[in-house]
Amino acid sequence: MKIFLRKNSALLITLLIILVFLIVSSRGMSTQDFYITVLRSLSAGSVVFLVAAGFSLIFGLLDVLNLAHGTLYMIGAYVGWTVFVRPDTFVDLLAPAFLLLSGLTLTGVLKRFTGKFTLSTTARRLISWGMIALGVALAALILSRYPIAMWDLENYTRGPVTFSFFADKEMRLPLEHLSFEKISPVLGILGLLLSSLIYASGIALLGRETRAVGKFNWRSIILFIVLLAAALLVIIFNTPLTEWLVKIDSTWLFLVAIIVAIAIGVGLGAGMETTLIRPLYNRPIYQLMLTLGLSAIGVEMVQAIWGRPGFIMPRPSIVKGSGEGCPATSLAGWLENKCATIQFFEGRIRVYDEIIIPVLGIIVLIAVWILLKRTRIGMIIRAGVQDRAMVEALGINVRRIFTLVFALGVGLATFGGILAAPSSGLNTGMGASLQTSALIALAIGGLTSYPGAALGSLLVGLVQQFIIKYGQIGIEIPFTDIIFKPSPPLVPASTVLLMVIVLLFLPGGIMGKKD
Amino acid sequence: MSNILEVSGIHTFIGQYHILQGVDVTVPQGSITALLGRNGAGKTTTLKSILGLASVREGKVIFDGREVQGMPPYDIAALGIGFVPEHRAIFRDLSVEENLKIAERSKGEYLRKRDFIFDLFPDLKRFLAIPGTRLSGGQQQMLSIARALVADNKLLLIDEPSEGLAPVIIENMMAVIRELSKESTVVLVEQNFLVASKLAEHYVIIEEGRSMKNGKMQDLIADKATIHKYLGAA
Repeated sequence: MKIFLRKNSALLITLLIILVFLIVSSRGMSTQDFYITVLRSLSAGSVVFLVAAGFSLIFGLLDVLNLAHGTLYMIGAYVGWTVFVRPDTFVDLLAPAFLLLSGLTLTGVLKRFTGKFTLSTTARRLISWGMIALGVALAALILSRYPIAMWDLENYTRGPVTFSFFADKEMRLPLEHLSFEKISPVLGILGLLLSSLIYASGIALLGRETRAVGKFNWRSIILFIVLLAAALLVIIFNTPLTEWLVKIDSTWLFLVAIIVAIAIGVGLGAGMETTLIRPLYNRPIYQLMLTLGLSAIGVEMVQAIWGRPGFIMPRPSIVKGSGEGCPATSLAGWLENKCATIQFFEGRIRVYDEIIIPVLGIIVLIAVWILLKRTRIGMIIRAGVQDRAMVEALGINVRRIFTLVFALGVGLATFGGILAAPSSGLNTGMGASLQTSALIALAIGGLTSYPGAALGSLLVGLVQQFIIKYGQIGIEIPFTDIIFKPSPPLVPASTVLLMVIVLLFLPGGIMGKKD
Repeated sequence: MSNILEVSGIHTFIGQYHILQGVDVTVPQGSITALLGRNGAGKTTTLKSILGLASVREGKVIFDGREVQGMPPYDIAALGIGFVPEHRAIFRDLSVEENLKIAERSKGEYLRKRDFIFDLFPDLKRFLAIPGTRLSGGQQQMLSIARALVADNKLLLIDEPSEGLAPVIIENMMAVIRELSKESTVVLVEQNFLVASKLAEHYVIIEEGRSMKNGKMQDLIADKATIHKYLGAA
């Protein structure tokens, strides 16, 4: 007991301070305001946590401070929006995506051939990057002529803002159907397949393992064929699939959007780690420059594709109801009428923002915790954070675990993005501001500590939301009759102040390791 | 008797430093071979070079009939090499049992080997649930050796097993290593010549990154001049 108290003293004192803070603040505002603000803190904290958790996993195991994390969070939101608001665009993109991925499944097989050439390192690098560039250029050329339904940034009536607006009203602008005009379907499909095979060969050549790896891998051939077949099926059944997605309940479509956003995150993460981050291990400055650069490129790309102005993300139908029986008086009532809000004392709480987001945040918190503590992969991650070389000396391929952790981390960030979108809307600055909050949460909690990331995010959420609330109702300064109303710029400043205070007393963060 | 490990003429760099400048080590199957030499002579780097943890730029490492230099460490280790590093490298965030389980190369290996391991190290059995780094120094050394026994290893690389241990515990550990050498081949790095001379049948002396002398341990024990020249104390 004594040991437990001493070891966790920082944590216990923090919890005590939170408790005192909550009690004190509960006296300054009405009960319902207090509870709602706490729920909002949980909600804001959950989103920060989804980004911070990935950050901390990646930093802990890989020693990479991924400054593109916030941008990836934003990309998750924009991708999810596309699936949700423009299912036709999403379906049109599926076939090219499958075709471009199909080559990658063959890198293992291609390695058997590329391994036969003996080349100097420089020649190998030049040729492989040349092939990758050629493949990407060919893909870009074909995609520019490939029919993909798009919004029109120049034309406001067909811009993202308008599509969002109509989707929110449950009316959809007429969607476009697939028609090959600028390129013949055969040429388009074969061209994309060829470009994918070219850059896959480049990637295969890039790998330094020249030895033929094991037996001929039938699984990758089967996966290749499955992807090809899927691409063809999506092209053939393009219209029915789009119509089905438009017709189904928007809650289901939102789930599809979440799955796609996570898949994109996992894919982007795995791709980033294997191609860009891997050559830069042990070179922290280069990693910072690379990820910072990627983040800027990501923001520019989002602006080029989705436009500069922000827009809203419609809410799924299950939290949109406002008619009879709303606001609901109980959870059962909410489920029956799909209310947007629930009556709570005299106030109302928004179901999506203040209940669903925190619940999902807590589910992710527990799921990742179980992954870390109860599975073999988690065991390897925990061991790898401490001593990578020893884990490798046990015969474990840590690289594969690195890729997995990076993919998981980015997947959590894109999940956070799509989850936050309906409540916070989409804009090109959302990534940067959330990344700052997540970094502050991590500094407070201890950079590589997973529970620290959760605690830090909670603290950041609490401070932000209470300052916002006090901005509305004002704080009575004790012993004076001044009522102080924190202005909005104080919200980010307050979390920085909190970080400074915590780091003054605990330089390693609340749950940080001492060494 | 065939050789399970043949290291010939390896040159190893750590960063820009040319640490090994021609090391040859031949290890006959089923024996204990000691790498001897002063601090910083390159003994640990030799072990790391065998495992691929340090990059070999020249020369060959042949393990069990396969050239392994240049392969990634996890592939080399998976061929059947167990590593007991200096300072033990116990995983702090893993319990004693997890420290053993993580060394599994196939599912259920730990369960199959458990009884054998706890026969050798009865102490460990009592502390399975606590974090590995809460064990005493001697117990951590035992855990580190036990970890190398979970997978089926033909070769054990043991670095400085007696470092920082009390004499009684060293005796105990020597008995364990002798027991292990019945099953697999052992390469030992040892500063303590008394320990090395009692355990090993063969020796290789490494000095300034080069292997200087090798042969049978009983010949070295008689050769006071060599001991004095390379190892300092007799």
